[in-house]
Amino acid sequence: MALMNGAQYIESLRKLDIKVYMFGEKIENFVDHPMIRPSINCVAMTYDLAHEAEYEDLMTVNSSITGKKINRFAHLHQSTDDLRKKVKMQRLLGQKTASCFQRCVGMDAFNAVFSTTFEIDQKYGTKYHANFIKYLTFIQENDFIVDGAMTDPKGDRALSPSQQPDPDMFLRIVEKRADGIVVRGAKAHQTGSINSHEHLIMPTIAMTEADKAYAVSFAIPSDVDGLYMIYGRQSCDTRKMEEGADIDLGNKQFGGQEALVVFDDVFIPNDRIFMCEEWDFAGMLVERFAGYHRQSYGGCKVGVGDVLIGAAAVAADYNGADKASHVKDKLIEMTHLNETLYCCGIACSAEGAPTAAGNYQIDLLLANVCKQNVTRFPYEITRLAEDIAGGLMVTMPSEKDFNSNLKVGSMTIGETCNKYFKGSGKASVENRMRILRFIENMCLGSSAVGYRTESMHGAGSPQAQRIMIARQGNIAHKKELAKKIAGIKE
Amino acid sequence: MKYGVKFCGGCNPRYERGRAFKSIMGDLSEKVDFEIAREEVDYDGLLVISGCSNCCPEVKVYKVKRKPIKMWDEKHIDKVKEEILKEVDVT
Repeated sequence: MALMNGAQYIESLRKLDIKVYMFGEKIENFVDHPMIRPSINCVAMTYDLAHEAEYEDLMTVNSSITGKKINRFAHLHQSTDDLRKKVKMQRLLGQKTASCFQRCVGMDAFNAVFSTTFEIDQKYGTKYHANFIKYLTFIQENDFIVDGAMTDPKGDRALSPSQQPDPDMFLRIVEKRADGIVVRGAKAHQTGSINSHEHLIMPTIAMTEADKAYAVSFAIPSDVDGLYMIYGRQSCDTRKMEEGADIDLGNKQFGGQEALVVFDDVFIPNDRIFMCEEWDFAGMLVERFAGYHRQSYGGCKVGVGDVLIGAAAVAADYNGADKASHVKDKLIEMTHLNETLYCCGIACSAEGAPTAAGNYQIDLLLANVCKQNVTRFPYEITRLAEDIAGGLMVTMPSEKDFNSNLKVGSMTIGETCNKYFKGSGKASVENRMRILRFIENMCLGSSAVGYRTESMHGAGSPQAQRIMIARQGNIAHKKELAKKIAGIKE
Repeated sequence: MKYGVKFCGGCNPRYERGRAFKSIMGDLSEKVDFEIAREEVDYDGLLVISGCSNCCPEVKVYKVKRKPIKMWDEKHIDKVKEEILKEVDVT
């Protein structure tokens, strides 16, 4: 099958029987639901750009399995150049959507599962790697998007999976059959899960032998029996349900998406299993997926940052503050922070190395430093954007007020709003509203889910990176360096 | 004369690459046929339009008679036109 375009991708979703629940009700047509559609449009962009000459060098690549042209989101990285191009592609998509475009988790899962299954097979003589290559070939041939699902609900954080009072707090094997396994549990805050054709499941933490029922990796279609999703709320989300909503949405076209994905005794056939009780490899799979995903944030968030910096500059123009030296300096600071994140994404890619399976892995220390910075810098960038935009981005009346013909005194409500919210005269009142609502959307509206809190907790919370930095930082070596130059002999 | 055109992916372009291409194509359209480069086609030349100095596109896969002409800055537009015209004159 040829590469899909955005419209074909959207139509392909209609053919799936994905079970989605929101506000306590089943959503029969999620594709056209006003709260969900912007996130689908985001994924569609990953398909459309693959067909544009100006972007295809990043968006497409020849498959290492079949040699055919595929979307880079389904690719196994074959070099450090591939790793760099991944980050560049993510920056591009962030620039085009100002949102989370959701397709990275699958790509990062493909690369982590590919190399881990190879090493499981080497130790145990299993056939997981062949299973996975067959599966990925199917994904590449059909140009599917896959939710790489890792995070379990986790229950009591002080207890291991097998110690939880409720054993379903981590997804687990509940039955082993001759033709496959049955699993139960859930994956929490799954980005793009409803928009994905398939789910690729991984364990969420390193495990001991007592946890072996939880050491499981597999893939399934998103509409398989027993699988359902409960949509996650976002700040200001019901604005999308308002009749004729446009300006008040900030970003009408694009948005992110998260959901709780529930596995209510789902059967997994043998040829789609990539780990089954090999508990000693759970940590490897987690570490590799997290490494790739921490690299990803050095691309996608930078692209969104590019748009936010641009929006802040436009707001300054419209407010008449563009010549103020402190505003110029704040835009420089935002750019400096944003490009620093990009430097980290590129650096951990450039320092990548091949795995035993042959695909390329990022430099783990630098990827964790990258993500650690991402837990901080977008917050500072949004702070500066709000500083430049001014308080009006959160206090101005609704679009309906600006268009209201209700007469109060000598003027209508609309006339009053348009009189008092005029800016520098460089733009119409409507355009000033549009850019301020757009900044609101990214800083504290529905897209802030992706740009702020996802920057904090996505791909692991800050402490997870600090643990990895401690492991990789080699303080002993640094102490030796200091002692040698200081002339210390012990 | 047939020229293939290869864009970089455009992750962080320092200028409008599409507009630069239109400018080059507009001035040379009577003498040069431009098309988006395809691996299976033989070209007289290849123009690589990159958004920054990294110039990252892989161009070895294309069949080209001459060394590719690369640009990564808007200021290169005139020089690119001159270089291509020189080749046209030689041909």
